[in-house]
Amino acid sequence: MKSWISFLMPEDEYKEKKMLYFFSEGAILLVLFLVVMFLVNKFIDLSTGVILFAGIAVFLFYIFGRYILSGMEYTDIATEQEYKRAVRGLKSRTTSFVVLFAIFYLIYGITSNSLVNWYEFTGMVISVGVVSFLFDFISLKKSYKKNKELL
Amino acid sequence: MKNNVKKIRMKTSMTQQQLAKKVGVTRQTIGLIEKGEYNPTLQLCVAIAKELDKTLDDLFWEVEE
Repeated sequence: MKSWISFLMPEDEYKEKKMLYFFSEGAILLVLFLVVMFLVNKFIDLSTGVILFAGIAVFLFYIFGRYILSGMEYTDIATEQEYKRAVRGLKSRTTSFVVLFAIFYLIYGITSNSLVNWYEFTGMVISVGVVSFLFDFISLKKSYKKNKELL
Repeated sequence: MKNNVKKIRMKTSMTQQQLAKKVGVTRQTIGLIEKGEYNPTLQLCVAIAKELDKTLDDLFWEVEE
């Protein structure tokens, strides 16, 4: 089946089908959210920017959340050995990501002539690292559990 | 959908990973098909049947006993 969205879809047919469901569910939630906002806006004056931003966030967070919890990201992790190796890989990937993020955040701070607040910098880097690791870890754990049951 | 994919695959000593690679899907998808938790497309059914050297009937047709 050909569609302009095909380029966003994974090669594997099960993953493709699940992703299509997630996108559709996200789109329906977005429409419902916008209808509610439309009605609320009649009584309370809401900022258009906030509503639009919240709409995008609802759509993206829903799809991202469903993807992570579906346990289909790490399709080949089924044994304890593979799982432990994947956790090690995840730790080193997160470390590299945090280092790169810190460098770019510093460069951005310097080039935009804004003083780098070290508390803010440390807090931001740690938060980004923890959130990134946590999301990946949940996805890995879910995938491992699902794959183990399928062996 | 109940099927005989796992039984026949194991008879050929092929792993889920090997079958998955040959038919162009992930190991997870093969596992889900074997457990009857995912109904594959006809295209994938045919690919699996060819790799296991069986007919679609052998793999996917339910026979009441």
